[in-house]
Amino acid sequence: MTTETAPTVALPGGEMLAWSDRRDGAGDRPLAALAARLVPAGARVLVAGPHDPVLLDALAHARLTCLLRGYPDAAAIADRVDRVLVAGPHGLPTGEEYDVVIAGAGLDAVESVEGERLGWDGLLARLVAALRPGGDLLLRVDNPLGVHRLVTATSWYAGRGDAEWTVGGVLDTSLPANLDQARARLATAGVPAGSCYAAYPRPDLTTALLSADQLSRPTASGLFDAVLHDACTEGFAGQFVLADPARLAVDALHAGRAAELAPSWLLLARRATDGPQSTRSEQPDSPLGGPDGLPVALVRAAAGGGVVEVLDEAHGWCWRRTDLGDRSGPTPTAYDGRPAAHRDPRGPQGPVPDGRLLRSLLLDGCLRRDTARLRRLLRGYAEWLDGQAERGQLTGAVALAGADNLVVAGDRFAVLDPSWRAGVGLPVDVVLARTLWRFATELLAGGYAHPWTSTLDVAGLTVVLGGVAGRDFDRAVVATAVQTDATVSVALRGPESDRRVDPDTETRPVPPTGPRSYQQMYETWLREREENTRLAALLRWTEELLNARERALRRAEAKINLLSGSLSYKVGRLAITPARMAKRGAGAAKRRAREAIAAKRQEQTKREQK
Amino acid sequence: MHHANHFYGHAHVLARYAGLGDGHPPRINGYIQHGWNIGDGLAPGHPYAERTPSLLWSEQTRRRAWSVGRRNVTVIGAPFVYLLATARQPGPAQPERAGTIWYPFHGWEGQHVKGDHRELIARIRDTEPGPVTVCLYWHEHRMRRVRRLYENAGFRVVCHGYRGHWWKDTDPEFLHRQLAELRRHARVASNRLTSAIFYGIAAGCEPAVYGDPMVLAAEDPTFGGTARIRRQWPELHGEQVHLPTAVEIARAELGTDHRHPPAALRELLGWADPQEETT
Repeated sequence: MTTETAPTVALPGGEMLAWSDRRDGAGDRPLAALAARLVPAGARVLVAGPHDPVLLDALAHARLTCLLRGYPDAAAIADRVDRVLVAGPHGLPTGEEYDVVIAGAGLDAVESVEGERLGWDGLLARLVAALRPGGDLLLRVDNPLGVHRLVTATSWYAGRGDAEWTVGGVLDTSLPANLDQARARLATAGVPAGSCYAAYPRPDLTTALLSADQLSRPTASGLFDAVLHDACTEGFAGQFVLADPARLAVDALHAGRAAELAPSWLLLARRATDGPQSTRSEQPDSPLGGPDGLPVALVRAAAGGGVVEVLDEAHGWCWRRTDLGDRSGPTPTAYDGRPAAHRDPRGPQGPVPDGRLLRSLLLDGCLRRDTARLRRLLRGYAEWLDGQAERGQLTGAVALAGADNLVVAGDRFAVLDPSWRAGVGLPVDVVLARTLWRFATELLAGGYAHPWTSTLDVAGLTVVLGGVAGRDFDRAVVATAVQTDATVSVALRGPESDRRVDPDTETRPVPPTGPRSYQQMYETWLREREENTRLAALLRWTEELLNARERALRRAEAKINLLSGSLSYKVGRLAITPARMAKRGAGAAKRRAREAIAAKRQEQTKREQK
Repeated sequence: MHHANHFYGHAHVLARYAGLGDGHPPRINGYIQHGWNIGDGLAPGHPYAERTPSLLWSEQTRRRAWSVGRRNVTVIGAPFVYLLATARQPGPAQPERAGTIWYPFHGWEGQHVKGDHRELIARIRDTEPGPVTVCLYWHEHRMRRVRRLYENAGFRVVCHGYRGHWWKDTDPEFLHRQLAELRRHARVASNRLTSAIFYGIAAGCEPAVYGDPMVLAAEDPTFGGTARIRRQWPELHGEQVHLPTAVEIARAELGTDHRHPPAALRELLGWADPQEETT
């Protein structure tokens, strides 16, 4: 094969000429935002392995060298970087040093099919050798027991894809199998790790980077709850899984184990300057992440694709917009031409309110059937809405924030991400009904236990929840809320998200967006079976009751018949009725006697035959 | 509708609260607990269709019902608390509360009570400071011998009405009449802790439970009977009880805080789209 190479593309050996690591839909914007923080202007940066092109854009201020094994990938980015090496790890020129090395796709993606395999430790050693003393390494390590692995419907060990010329896994002791092992390997290699981020929702897709230290604290932070839930719901959308990854991730957060169950980790390490045993605290260099320190979280904004950071400042956590702003188009308008909602394209800013996520608190209340707690929560929410309404109408972020975007600390409610705002005023009851309808949908579609009867459909359950909140609204308000939700969804996510339903005819919940899980299907089947049992029992009961009532009706009709006739008819009936009853009785007795005689004769005949 | 839903005019009270008027209430999609009890909230011996919703008075009863295998159990509170929400509050013209309304423990059509009414009357006389109204259950009220015993003791004897049986002769005004009587009295008393005591507390009476609890023919011992009632609610037994404690217990047992607004109640009872005429 003859290949014409671009001037910046070098092929020093070990290249894979027809191979590409590019995947549709892959994205790593939070990594790009983090890298932009770490890399000073003019720094020499080695980007080892395939990365989202947005990373290269974010590092435009640096001198970039990319190490890629696939030639098509190299050709695609050749005009965006200073130099591309199409090679395996052996192709890295000896003696070259970089200020920062980024291996954001892990070390496996650096290894080529050509040449001698180095293995994980060998690859790490090769990259560390290319790092100047005091230089920073940004390395992704996959978790063999992350959320993605626990929910996958296919076995990890049966891989037959093109990229699986070897199948790595927890059995391979040359790979670090957990975070502690990864830290130990890095320390041994002379690059002790400092900060670490848990990357969600999949190893090949990171939309949220959350500080592993913060995740391990028993805070059950509403922010992390919302971020993990959204990341896992969207990250596994349309996939068939064993269990809901969002549920698992949020449960792990509440158990203080969300860092351990992260699909992958992003470790920040710095090459020691005075021998392999140095620790980060001994480093004389400036702190990582610039004067602000490293963010607590980097999150891709749900609709746009921009990245927002959460910084831990003196007065608490704070939203901060990054230069990786929103790349989405203008906010779509609703079908009537008026924008139902609009979004600040730069994402949220200002303090991040603390507290637990309202959705988790409500789910907890439902599971424990703690209706007193649910009353306190929902009445508190309704009163909070009332307090902000003007002439019964709500505008701004409050009007759009549902239970998945509200945090509660004590009796205080606050909107977590206020960047989405209602374009038109909405009545308080409609806002409340929309929040409750969305929650009711999730409750029923998720198969959660709750304190109310199985006979309620989503709209009915919404009305009941409204009652728990102390409001007496009916299905007409729910119908308005559903239409409002559809309009807002279109404005938020585009026309394809239109999930309008008729609440009067919709008896089963519309499954919320996200993955379809085996557990969900199994629970649905169980609930349907219970409903069938209930309906069959009800049918039997109704049949018996109908028979009893029909008998009562016949008696009543006979009585009416008797009472409504003429005097001579009544006298005649009174005289005839005993005779008819006697005749009927005699007939029955005669039948019984005949049957008894016939049975005896048969018996006698049988005895004689013997 | 299960015929027990009509007892004491419960379905009528709920229909009126739900905004369906005073006509015949539509069919309820479930069983309404028709009296305070220490079991699963449903009357023993009554036929029930499996998994049909049980609409119970209190959270404690819901937990107990679940523990004995009932499912689809939901707390809505007692119909009496819905009556309290709709009944007109007593105005200033209402005479001041006086005396005691006394409910001798009653059986029902299928179970009769055995006990010494004379002994009970003597105890009531010794205990109650003011005039006494004795409220007899309908079939004891019809027993001239029993009624005379209380009348001859100088007590006013009343009956709130017939609770109804198999949809026949349900008195929709039963609970209204009971509430009106309770509001006339300062105290409510009985020889057993029963629904009437809790209703009385909710209607503003001071409660008392004393005297021979009497024996119910073929009483079901499954849930512990009177002995358990005395063990579990000792605070409500005695000639004088601590009123704030009693109010708190009555609030929980009647499920006052679980009362739903009309629209939510319509959903829970299957009345959101009633198929029957209610007027």
